[in-house]
Amino acid sequence: MKRTTRKLAALSIAATISAATLTACSAGGGSDADSNSLNVAFWDYGPAAQANNKALAEGFEAANPGVTVELTPVAGENWGSYYANVATSIAAGNRPDLMLISGEGAQFVTNNDLILPINDYLENDPDAQAIQDGIAPGLIAGFTVDEQVVTLANQWNDMVVYYNTDVFAAAGLEAPSADWTWDDFEATAAALTKDTDGDGEPEQYGFTWASNEIFPGIMPWVANAGGNLTDDAVCTPTVDTPEVSEAVGFLNELIEKKIAPAPMPMSDVFTRFQNGTIAMFGAGRWPIGTFVPAGFTAFDIQLYPTGETYKTVFGGAGYPILKSSANPDLAWEFQKFTVSEDIQNAIVGTPEAPGDSIPSLRAAADTISEVGVPPVNSDLFYASIDDYDTLVPYPAPTNYSEYEAAVLRNLQLIFAGEVGVDEGLATMQGELESIVTCS
Amino acid sequence: MTRLTVERDAGLAAGGSAQPSGSPAGAADAGSPRIRRPRRAGRNRRTRDTRAAVAFLTPSLIAFAIFVFAPSIAVVVLSFFRWNLLSDGTFIGVDNFVRLFSDTRLADVYRSTAFMAVVILAVNVVIGLLLAVLLETRMPNWLRGFFRLSFLFPFVVSSSAVALIWRFLLNKDLGLVNYWLGLIGIDRIDWLGSSFWAPISVIIVSSWKTVGFSILIYIAGLQSIPTEIREAAIVDGANAWQRFFRITLPLLSPTVLFLLVINTISAFQLFAEPKVLTGGGPGDASRTIVQYIYDLAFGAFDLGYASAVGLTLLVVLIVLTTIQFRVSKKWTHYQ
Repeated sequence: MKRTTRKLAALSIAATISAATLTACSAGGGSDADSNSLNVAFWDYGPAAQANNKALAEGFEAANPGVTVELTPVAGENWGSYYANVATSIAAGNRPDLMLISGEGAQFVTNNDLILPINDYLENDPDAQAIQDGIAPGLIAGFTVDEQVVTLANQWNDMVVYYNTDVFAAAGLEAPSADWTWDDFEATAAALTKDTDGDGEPEQYGFTWASNEIFPGIMPWVANAGGNLTDDAVCTPTVDTPEVSEAVGFLNELIEKKIAPAPMPMSDVFTRFQNGTIAMFGAGRWPIGTFVPAGFTAFDIQLYPTGETYKTVFGGAGYPILKSSANPDLAWEFQKFTVSEDIQNAIVGTPEAPGDSIPSLRAAADTISEVGVPPVNSDLFYASIDDYDTLVPYPAPTNYSEYEAAVLRNLQLIFAGEVGVDEGLATMQGELESIVTCS
Repeated sequence: MTRLTVERDAGLAAGGSAQPSGSPAGAADAGSPRIRRPRRAGRNRRTRDTRAAVAFLTPSLIAFAIFVFAPSIAVVVLSFFRWNLLSDGTFIGVDNFVRLFSDTRLADVYRSTAFMAVVILAVNVVIGLLLAVLLETRMPNWLRGFFRLSFLFPFVVSSSAVALIWRFLLNKDLGLVNYWLGLIGIDRIDWLGSSFWAPISVIIVSSWKTVGFSILIYIAGLQSIPTEIREAAIVDGANAWQRFFRITLPLLSPTVLFLLVINTISAFQLFAEPKVLTGGGPGDASRTIVQYIYDLAFGAFDLGYASAVGLTLLVVLIVLTTIQFRVSKKWTHYQ
């Protein structure tokens, strides 16, 4: 009897462990070499991302009969957490052929040996030169790490100031011009701030910025102060420099003067901008994909104000080929397809359903105004990278998720008024020294 | 006693296939109480029982092995490695454990976690008891049902959804809470953005969400106390306070112990509320240890060190639970 029990128990445990082992070892996703299939991972930040990538996959399948494209949506509250989730997925055995990345992820995918650089394709593919000629050089440079081109950027965003035209009109203010300065900006923001119930706390603020991302948060101010968060090699943090201090100090003063509230998540910024309690904020083209379908069009855009200098802060996005891809040539065709005319025009969108980023092809981007997609000043999007200096390199080290979290965490304390600007930046510098390295 | 034994044996025999032929189940009832079951029949019965037990347990065992046992072993193993999810891991001995002593954030995070956990625990155990007792006082059934539902409802709603709604309610400029406070002349409070108020906000939201569960368990405990004891106390002249402290509370002590243990563990595992409400900030003011482990593992891709920190939480919870059980022997009364 005891022997029977032991046998049963052993059998049960063996079955249990086998099941666990099999589950742990199983791998999924990815294509196999014999089939004409591709697996594409993308950041699923909402319905617009799902629709765009679905259209991309279906378009590629239609243009290449017999080819199937499987989409793998990956969640994430920002690019950093998206990369973390993709890494988790890859560690779990999934092997997409391509994955959407932004400029922030170029170092991450390169230094983790995840991607196949496209230099050979660019040299040997007869279509490559024409494609590159149609794309702003900055977008190629933004995806080049150690002379290796990570991907063709098929869409991008530059940081511009959004302003609520109704709020401006109600305050009797003219639309800002491209040559406005930090002082002009502060005066404008102050004029747009209202304490309607007289309790000493504004109900309507002139400006705010996102608390959950660096890119549309402090970066344009740091760049226009002449600084950066890392050195040019992206190997050493430089947040304790006078330029960064000047930029963060300026933003902190806006809070202290009650012209701006403490920064908040971008989703909250969207809501408050649309209801007019925030008059201006900074972002790329992506808010348009939310505002216009919701029926909100009372806004326009302008360049960030000039400080010590002016530099356009931008970031591209593309679909690099992963080294683990079983069909790299087919993946390259897919990558080329992402910068094809049809896809680029789809990124432009329509007045009713605008795209949420800027097409990489200049020819497509130039049609935004012609098509009538809001806002009025949309030509500024591509002009900002063609006509102005840009912040290169983008300060995105290999450990981007950790780096972004450390920067944002320390900024929270500064903007909450709990540590001084220089003290907070010194602490941030200390933390980043072990995160931003090239060793 | 003999009668009970016979009935049990008879019942077992009736269900057993090894019953000797010509000896129907009813024979056991009619026959001598000293009838002994054949050894072979008992052995077969136990084998069948074992098989049934294994069959019933295996699905749970498989789930346990996959989702609890295997990851737990993996955490122990990983804590001796440097691994970033994407590259091959490197064995680094006890370096991750040595690093625990120089991690200045770890102490801050444990401090904020402990503060929030202790207050949430106190609210659940003390306020939960108070509310449960109030709900057991005389009131119309519909009103009792309404209150029970109101308290329990937050518990069954997703933590993230709850935290998201509270994030709007506690917004400094547009939140309803500050609006109401403004009506009585209180200045706007930066519930989510200041190091003082952010952990308090997490405590409020988490307590609001979980206290319903404690109330439910307390009510079950209160209803299991025999009314005869209370009636006897009334006859003996005990007033309401004396009945509560001398009868209700002692007899409820096993329930209190259960809630202490469960709420301690869940309070130390707080994650969704601070993650959604405050992101753990400002700084680390409202960051919990589980959030910190998550950030290390899936933000910094430092799986090895995250595992080492995870093991410290395991040790902390084992120590706390052991203390609770040891101390509880002095004040827990079982009926």
